[in-house]
Formats: sequence, structure tokens, C-alpha cells
Amino acid sequence: MLESEFIASLIAASMRAGTPLLFATLGEIITERSGVLNLGLEGVMITGAMVGFYFSYVTGNPWIGILAGGFAGLLLAMVHAFFTVTLKVDQAVTGLMLVLFGLGITGFLGRGLVGEVASYLQPVKLPLLSEIPYIGTAVFSHDPLVYIGILIVPLLWFFMNKTRYGMELYAVGENPEAADTVGISVDRIRFIAVLTGGFLVGIAGAHLSLAYAKVWTDGLTAGRGWICLALVIFSGWMPQRAIFGAYLFGGLDVLSFKLQAAGLGVSYHFMRMVPYIFTILVLLFSVIREREKFGAPSALGKPYIREQKY
Amino acid sequence: MRIKVERRLETPKFIYILIPLASIIASLIFVGILLFLIGVNPIDAYSTMIYRAFGTKFGVTELFVKTAPIILTGLAVSIPLRAGLWNIGAEGQLYMGAFAASFIALYLSPPPVVLPFMVIMAVLAGMMWASIPGVLKAKFELNEIISTLLLNYVAIYWVEYLVYGPMKGKEVYNFPYSDLFSDYAILPRFFGTRFHAGVIVAFILAIAIYILITRTSYGFAVKIVGANPKAAEYAGISRKKIIISTMILGGAIAGFAGMMEVSGLHMRLRAAVSPGYGYTGIPVALLARGNPLFVIMAAFLFGLLYVGGSAMQTTYGIPVAVVDVFQALVVLFIIGGDFFTRYRISFVFREASA
Repeated sequence: MLESEFIASLIAASMRAGTPLLFATLGEIITERSGVLNLGLEGVMITGAMVGFYFSYVTGNPWIGILAGGFAGLLLAMVHAFFTVTLKVDQAVTGLMLVLFGLGITGFLGRGLVGEVASYLQPVKLPLLSEIPYIGTAVFSHDPLVYIGILIVPLLWFFMNKTRYGMELYAVGENPEAADTVGISVDRIRFIAVLTGGFLVGIAGAHLSLAYAKVWTDGLTAGRGWICLALVIFSGWMPQRAIFGAYLFGGLDVLSFKLQAAGLGVSYHFMRMVPYIFTILVLLFSVIREREKFGAPSALGKPYIREQKY
Repeated sequence: MRIKVERRLETPKFIYILIPLASIIASLIFVGILLFLIGVNPIDAYSTMIYRAFGTKFGVTELFVKTAPIILTGLAVSIPLRAGLWNIGAEGQLYMGAFAASFIALYLSPPPVVLPFMVIMAVLAGMMWASIPGVLKAKFELNEIISTLLLNYVAIYWVEYLVYGPMKGKEVYNFPYSDLFSDYAILPRFFGTRFHAGVIVAFILAIAIYILITRTSYGFAVKIVGANPKAAEYAGISRKKIIISTMILGGAIAGFAGMMEVSGLHMRLRAAVSPGYGYTGIPVALLARGNPLFVIMAAFLFGLLYVGGSAMQTTYGIPVAVVDVFQALVVLFIIGGDFFTRYRISFVFREASA
């Protein structure tokens, strides 16, 4: 039964590694649905990771860390929202600079945290369910954020598709002129969407440092923010698809460790390239497949400025 | 109260000079506060930085040595940017150039002619690496920002794989280095410093690219595609060809930068060939607004930061990451300030409601 054990542990690890990807992808879906592209995911995520780690390190409570990570993400997202929604500046440039800023500031301020130990999120074994052989360890013995992530998916789906606010979000992302005409405040909805997205991306980072890696290192996110940007496209801007993409890439992330541990003689450095190559291929596949009915919000990346008549 | 945003009909000229200057000063202040917070006197730190760069012969030549690759990556970002494309992949293209040049230097060297051969292969490697996102963009409209960036990781890990594995040197202990190149494969140096021939080439290239994009019909075609793709189509300019060719041209230059770094500076292939010059190319291109001559000026600013950054690291133990913070801030301030060149803001009180 060694193989089933290997598969069970691989599934468990995929879910754990996939959870930060899931949170960040969902956050970016909300942001992009409003028509704002936040390319700064990598920077927002790493800031959440460092701030989260710091607060857990200081307070000894990982939940405070998770929340602090979320708020750090929200704060950086606020910069993005101010520039792109209020000042209507180029969204790509602002996002790219958030990446530089996030990587820089965490490298700068996080120096003292390298090698430190913070209290991290403990796994919770769900009663009875975790007793099921193999499946119990694979699916029902995770830290609470893994379950919360799974719960957010249907909630977000419901919000986006079945509520008035969800419809407004959709309208603002698809056709801001029309939304404006019927009295929806485009800027306000975009602002809220960018902040909410940033909060989730910050939590994603904090989960990375407080539940998955359990340490802080410089450049901890290692490109995960960019992978999530690709996952948004892969998921067609739909939360219910994002979860598959996130767990798939979580699995890919851990596979290199598992294969190495299994003594297959695959170079660790060589395996590190695989997720990025795979991401490009998946992206290409998504783009080719959905060329006609591409799921991107029509107004994505375009600042909305109400027409003025002189 | 409501904030009202109006498009400016005319922009006063001085704003175009004022904004970059004010942005640089504002960023210096912001980073100064950060330095202060970690217990470093910002004035001391900045004077150390200036002294290191201008106070000694070594400093001045180091400034050129660090500016040269930034000129090249700045060009590698600028050229596609003129066509409306973001080449975030200069870092990866640089690494592939470094890899190709090192491969030639270490394994295939017919000694006397090895340098030109290294240049050619590095340029080809950079072109090949940049052509992937270029073709994917032209054929499938695949977002070039994401694809160029993901390819950076692939290129960096590829070089790491090589220097930890197949290309690891025999006498380098546990360092991720290849063996040293033979003397034939090293660019000549001058003044008894690290000032190497590649620096001069970088400046010449910037001027050549300036001529290419301002004085030739190709440069004009690139500009039209960037400014107005529809007009380009009516004028019979193939947008796809421009997309692919500007990316490849950018990749060629970044690939050369990789060769220059391994052959002129490190004299071997190693992990961390570049401290992020490819990414620095982005703020450089933005500051220069796509003009290669301004790229030289902007590159000097960031070259100074890298020289100063390493001086601050050795003197005060400040991580070089502070350079990234500065870069991001300068650009954010500039694009934030740009808003004021295009719009006028006024506060409207209640009675003005339409």
C-alpha cells in the first residue's frame, strides 16, 4: 500500500501548497472582474507573507499574523487603487512597480526575520472524517485556512452570480459607461474590488509563510504571484475553476520535492523550472481554446474616465 | 464636496522637468525615512553613496561598469515599449545570453576568435528567448507581460541548474560557479580597473538604436504600431511583424548584456549573474520615455544606485533590496505626477452638482 500512501501525501501536500495560490487567484479574480488589472500580485503576496510572519512572530498568535498579512495586502492594493482608479494611471506600470516595491521592502525590512521561528497554523484533524484511511490524511487533516479557502469558492460564486453587488461588479468590468449611466459608481466599486482582492492576496502570502513554508526567506513567493495571474486566465475569471488550477499547481510545486525524496535522481534545480514552463503551456492552451468566447472582462485594464463636454 | 478632474488643454513646459526631479527627491526622502527607521543616518548613508561613486577612480569606473548593463536592459525594454509591448523578460534574456557565451567559452573555444563567437551566440540566445513571447503574442494574443516574466524564472533556474550541476567548476568548492574562462574569452579591461570594452559597446549601441528608431522607416513603423495600431494597419504595416521583431531586437541586446557580464566582469558563469538589471530596465525605459539617449541618462541614475547600494551594504549592512524600493518609488511618483500634466484637479462643492 506504499503507493496509496504516496498518493495520499501528495494530495495533502497539493492542497496545502495550492491554498496560497487559491486565495491569491480568487483575490485577483475579484479585482479583474471590476476591470482593474493588478499585476502587482507577486509584490502584494510577499508583503503579506512578511508582515504576517512578523506579527505572528511578535504576538505568538498565527491568526493575528494571517489578519495582519491580509491588511498589508489591502494597504498595497490601496496604493494600486489610488493610482489606477483615482488618478487613472496606467495599470500595468503601477502593478509592475508594486512588484518591485514589495520585493524590495520585504528584503529590506524582513532581513531580521530570516532564520527566526514564528508560531504557525496548526493542522486541525476533522473529527471522524480524518479517521478514514488515506482519504483522512489526504483531505481532512489540514490547517483551517485550507478549509476556509474551499468554503470561499462557492460563496464567491454565489456573490458574483446571484447577488446585486455581484452584478454591479460584473457591469463595471464589462461596460463601465453603461454602469455609470444607470447610476452605479464605477470608481467606488473598482476601489472596493481592488481592496478586497488585495486582502485575499495578502492572506495568501501569510498562509505561505505561516502554514506552508513556516519560515520567512527573502523572495519567499518565488514567482507564485505570476503563476496566479496565469491561473486567473486559466480559470476564465470563474472562482469554481480557480480551485482546480490552484491545487493542480500546488501539486506541481510539491512534486519536485516528493520525487527527490523518492530518490529518483531528478535534479532539484531542474525541477524548479517545470512549474513555470507548465504555466506558459497552460496559459497558451487556455488562450487558444477560448479564443472566441474569451472570458476576460471587456473593460479589463482600461481606466474609466467619464466623458467631458466642453 | 467632490473632486473634479478635468483634462488640461495645455501643459506648461516646466512640468516635464519638474516632475522627474521632484520624484527623485521625494523617493530619496522616503528611502531616507526607511533608513532612519532601521537606525541608519540617511545623510551619512547618502554621502557615502555619492563619495563611493564619484570620490575615487575605482568608484567612477564602477559607475560605468554598473551603468552599461542597465543601458542595455533599458534599451531591451524601450524598443518593444515603443510598439506598445512590455518586455519584462530582459532579465531572462540576459541569463540566456550569459549561458550561451559561457558555453562557448568553456567548451567550444577555438582560442583567438572566441570573443566574437561568444557575442554572436549570446545575441542569438537572447533573440531566441525573446522570440517565444513575441510569437505567442503575435499569433495568439498571449499576454507578453506574464509570458516574458515566467520565462525569466525558467532562464534563471536553468543557469542555476547548470552551475550546481553539469557546468559546475572543478575548483570552486561549494560555490555555484563554473570554471574561470580562458584569457581569450575575457573582454579587455582598461585603467587597471574593471572598466571593460563592453561598456563602450553599450554606449555605441544606445546611439545606434537611437538612429534606428528615429531615422529609419522601421523606427517609424514601430512608432505607428505603438501609437495607433489601426492607423498602422491602414498604412500596410504588419503589426505582427513589428511585435515579433521589436521583441527579438530587445532580446538580442539583453543577450549581449549577459555576455558582457560573464566575459567582462565575472569571467565565469555563476548563479545570480545579474542583480536584477533586467527589471531595472523597466523604470529606465519609463523615465526615458522610450528615447535611447535618455536611456543612457536614466541608466546612470540607477547605476549610481547600484554602486551606492553596494557601498551602503558593505558600510551599514543595508540590504541592496533598498535599490528596488527606490526604483519603484521613483516610477510611482513620476506616473502619479504625470497625472498632473494631463489633468487639472479642482475641488467642487455641493452647489456645483449637475
